[in-house]
Amino acid sequence: MIRIDNASVRLGGKPVLQEVGFAAGAGEFVALTGPNGAGKSTLLKLACGLIAPEAGAVELGGKSVAAIPYAARAALVSWLPQVRPAAWNLSAEDVVALGLGPGTRSAFAALGAAERTRVQAALDRMEAAHLAGRGIQTLSGGEAARVHMARVLVSPAPVLLLDEPVAALDIEHQLSLMDVLAEEARAGRTVVAAIHDLSLAARFCSRVAVLQGGRKVADGAPNEALSDAILESVFRVRRASEGTFVRIA
Amino acid sequence: MIRLSIVLGLTCFALLAISALAGTAPLSLGETFAALTGHGNEGVRTIVWEIRLPRAVAAFSVGAALGLAGAAMQGLLQNPLAEPGVLGVSAFASLGAVVAIYFGLAGAGTLGVPIAAILFSLVAVAVLMIAAGRGANSVTLLLVGIGLSSFAGALMALALNLAPNPWSLADLINWMLGSVANRSWTDIGMMTPAWAAGAVAIFLSAPGLRALTLGDEIAATLGVDPVRTRWLVVAGTSLLAGASVAVAGTIGFVGIVAPHLMRPLVKHDPARLLLTSALLAGALLLGADLVARLLPFQQELKLGVAAALFGAPVFIWIAARIGSLGR
Repeated sequence: MIRIDNASVRLGGKPVLQEVGFAAGAGEFVALTGPNGAGKSTLLKLACGLIAPEAGAVELGGKSVAAIPYAARAALVSWLPQVRPAAWNLSAEDVVALGLGPGTRSAFAALGAAERTRVQAALDRMEAAHLAGRGIQTLSGGEAARVHMARVLVSPAPVLLLDEPVAALDIEHQLSLMDVLAEEARAGRTVVAAIHDLSLAARFCSRVAVLQGGRKVADGAPNEALSDAILESVFRVRRASEGTFVRIA
Repeated sequence: MIRLSIVLGLTCFALLAISALAGTAPLSLGETFAALTGHGNEGVRTIVWEIRLPRAVAAFSVGAALGLAGAAMQGLLQNPLAEPGVLGVSAFASLGAVVAIYFGLAGAGTLGVPIAAILFSLVAVAVLMIAAGRGANSVTLLLVGIGLSSFAGALMALALNLAPNPWSLADLINWMLGSVANRSWTDIGMMTPAWAAGAVAIFLSAPGLRALTLGDEIAATLGVDPVRTRWLVVAGTSLLAGASVAVAGTIGFVGIVAPHLMRPLVKHDPARLLLTSALLAGALLLGADLVARLLPFQQELKLGVAAALFGAPVFIWIAARIGSLGR
């Protein structure tokens, strides 16, 4: 579904991605990981067409992403950014309804019954149904994160690109979100998520890609990609016991 | 929102009816009604049809256009303080009108004035968009707006100095203070195409404005073409504000007060805010003009002054509240 070939990106003159290749197909749940500033967010933005590569190619469903009109792109890919602004105090339900895709909602009438059901179902999956009527600006960080995630889930797009979806969530909601994302992948969606928690990534994802300094340094099954060598050279930690890591002094 | 719009629409209709009834010439209910339906004596018909109604319709149209422009600018810039008056768009439109009149590009009452006003407001909106496009925050944007207003004021003074047929200062003050007194159906008819085209552009941008709640980047991934939305609002607000200024001069703050009052009633939805803000702003200006007409002052209170007397404190209140939210 997504194919990035040899892509390089410069932001403000500084190279952020260098000759990165990345692909993900239907049914995959890929964790994108790496230290801060490795280029994870940039890779996700590249994949949804928000930034253009300086060199290389980005394809969605076999077509160059830049050539896909905005409406068609929204039907292909749904993106959760790391920073999620809300200029107005829209109700959580209206925020989620924005994810329904262009043209599914009249600009001036209230939400239709069918759309409302889909929105409610998405909120339900994020255990946020009780927040439907609340203003997005009045929610806690974690609650808002779940509403934004519901906005991504409600989209009909086959590709989900998620930038730190579990950040700000409590442990229970982290685990339930990872379950939901694994289910989505099993149902045939392509899920790519930037995740810092290596234990969560290793446990739930079918594949892990590791970025460092704008280059991809590992990509494969979790135990291969998160090998002791990578842990040491990229993350400067070593495995202490199952799921715990300690810094290398 | 439909019920709210109907209530607002009925309010506007009631205010129009009161405007036809009330005025310095004491007409009875029966006389006014007869005149409205085309009966009664000539003098009464002229007062109702040629003096009171055009003035009332002008007040409503100017208010509605400014309310719609304000709501759309706020949605696009994701900023509750945006409005044609505050951001210098109306001042630029006035400058355009003054330039057109003073340099004989157009006699008053021809298309030269509205075209100049619309073109000049387009310049101001474009400057604001460039500032906003560079990631300007609320404060920067307001400062650019203040700069535009002052610049337009200075250029108007310069135009006065250089004009080959300098009119009196009173004319300039008319443009700067704003009024809908003595407007004719011709004035209104000339602006109707601009108002209509502007309103269509704004309403077409509604889904885009709603998606922009989540910021430019998310909006782009939700199927909204950011460039199209931006141009629709730029064109729409220029047409609406330019035509309004060509009719009534600069009337500030209506475009800020109406969306602010309506926002909680439409669940803060920038799309549903558009029509309701337009109707409320129309009603507000119609009401303000009615008050200005009926206040027992020696000289009639200018509509723009009445609007600012009420609107400026609301503006300060909104600005202070945003400041306290740390935005």
